[in-house]
This record gives sequence, C-alpha cells and structure tokens, in this order.
Amino acid sequence: MTNSRWSVAALLLVCTIATPAAAQDRPVAGRIKVATGSAFVVRDGAQLPTQVGQLVYESDSIRTGVDGKIGVTLNDDTRLSLGPNSELKLERFTYAPADRGFGLVLRFVRGAATYVSGRIAKLAPGSIRLETPAAIIGVRGTTLAISVLPE
Amino acid sequence: MKRAGPLGVALAIAAVSTAAACGPKRISLPIRQGESLTVLLPDSDTGQAGDARVANPFGGVELTSERDAALAAANRAPVLGTLSEADIQKIFGDALSALPPPPQRFTLFFRFESDALTDQSQALIPDILTAVKKHVVQDVVVVGHTDTMGTQQANYTLGLKRAMMVRNILVDAGLDGSTIDVTSVGELDLFVRTADETPEPRNRRVDISVR
Repeated sequence: MTNSRWSVAALLLVCTIATPAAAQDRPVAGRIKVATGSAFVVRDGAQLPTQVGQLVYESDSIRTGVDGKIGVTLNDDTRLSLGPNSELKLERFTYAPADRGFGLVLRFVRGAATYVSGRIAKLAPGSIRLETPAAIIGVRGTTLAISVLPE
Repeated sequence: MKRAGPLGVALAIAAVSTAAACGPKRISLPIRQGESLTVLLPDSDTGQAGDARVANPFGGVELTSERDAALAAANRAPVLGTLSEADIQKIFGDALSALPPPPQRFTLFFRFESDALTDQSQALIPDILTAVKKHVVQDVVVVGHTDTMGTQQANYTLGLKRAMMVRNILVDAGLDGSTIDVTSVGELDLFVRTADETPEPRNRRVDISVR
C-alpha cells in the first residue's frame, strides 16, 4: 500500500519534471495582440522582433523602439500595452484556477505603459505586484497608466 | 554626487509637509530621472475607477479617483496628485492606443451527465462566432468544468470531452481549430460551491474566452 503510494508520487514527480509547459520550459503568459513599428520580445537576453499572434512566456520582456507600440493580453485576461521607447518585464505569471495558483509580477522598466487587470485581480488580488524602480503598486480591479524614467 | 545642503534638506521637508497638508495637487511634469508616475484611469467596462496603492519604504498613497496620480522616487515617499486629461493623453496616448480590446467571456451549460448543451447555451453559439470574427488574430480559450458527481479523474475527462465538443461546434462553424486552446479543470473550479457528490447544473459548464 505504502509502496504503491510512493510509486504514484514518484510517477507524478517524473511527469511534472519531464513535461515542459510549451516549447519553452516556462509557462505561457499570453499573446501579442498589437505590434507596430519597432516592437520586440526579449527572451534569455536576446531581442527578437515580434508580431501579432506570437506567444509570450513568463520572464519575457516586451520592448519598443522610438516608433514602436505593443499590446498584450495575458491568459487571465489581463491587458498590457507599451508606447514608444518602453520596456516591461513579465517577471512572474501563474494562472492555474484548478490548483488555486495565482501570481502576477510585472516590472515596469522604462517608458509609458498601461495595465488593465484581469481574472487574477478578481480571484487573488494579493498575488499581484506591479513594480517600478521607485515604488510597488498594489491593485484590485483597476486600470492604470504607468510612466517610468530610469536613472 | 551632489549633496543637498541644510537649506536644501529643510526646503525638501517643507515641500513634503506642504504636499501632505494640501492633499492632491498638480504634479510637475515631465517626470525626472529616477521617478515613476502611476495614474488611475476608469475601467472600460464599468466607467468607474478601481483603486490602487503606490508604496515604497518611505510611505504610500492610495489612488481612488479617476486621474489620481502618484509620483514616486526611490529615495522619498510617493506624492499624491492629479493629472489633467490633456497630460494623460500626452504621456500615455500612444500606450493607450495599443491596448488590446477587452476579452469577451461566454459560459455554456450542459444537461445532466451529458455532453449536450442546454437549448439556451446552444443559442449563444452565433454570438461567440461574431465575437471571434471581430479580432484580427483568432484566440479562443475553451475550459471544461463539471459538478462534483463522480471521481476527480472521471470529471477531468468529462470536462475535457465537453470542452472538445464545444471546440468542434466552433470549428464546424468555421473557426480555425489550431487557435482554439482546449483544457479541462474537471470539478476543481466550481461556479457554485457544493459538497462532493452533489449534482449542480450550474457547475456543468464550459467557459469560453474570446480575445
């Protein structure tokens, strides 16, 4: 009995480790919905031109150049956008309603951005943290515009 | 690195106390290096502003009304003010114009221990198709749910079966199946909280998000 229980646990563990969430070994966070001008996803230090429809993953950044704009919808229906010369990092994204797993950490690095809260803000507002170099923003169901001029 | 003299410090303290005493005021723009500006906007669905708290180790302020703004720097407490509509457009107009449209959500309900939709839910299918076709890139998430009758494993399978059935209805109606994400959470995300082994029609459902 104990033995078989351990086998099940071991099997589950193996499955968890062996099954990547997607092509990347990080969870999908959302999808690019708007991309104009110079618009990029930064992944593992590489700046990749982005286009509408592309997936973004936890710990990706989105970045725009002087003529760029980006709009993203995350899997919990959170919406984000960047104006020109802007950057935002998807530091953490967990949306697993079945496991009660929720978390959203966004780092606003520079430029102008907007944030419209999604399902995580309704289900677990305490798990959301929006960071700028100068402050931390806690939200419930909220639409915000955030501008950052780094040092 | 330039240090503020005693007079500078005194002026800074006076400025902070004045700001605190006078409540919301006009924030000086453009923001300077090291500063960040957070502005509360009305939610597009309700037209009402939500609320947010902007804080750092030196203090915090609450944004509770439309156009409330917090100006923050790493070495002092955030300051509360308000921004004019013109300033919001000037600073955030481009970003606001890139915001994706709000996702639309639909919930379809099922007959008891069946993968057949209720008549009312069947009638929603054309609305879902219309919603999808409004988007340039099709992106549909279909999540199957069950009530608590039966085992978790069986309900996971039943939820997936229901979600697949909804997917097939949408594909038959002309949507691209490769952009429909199908998952199940079985009995783990109840719409109505019930005990185990409880039949509940409102928990037998498929949630669809069109975005």
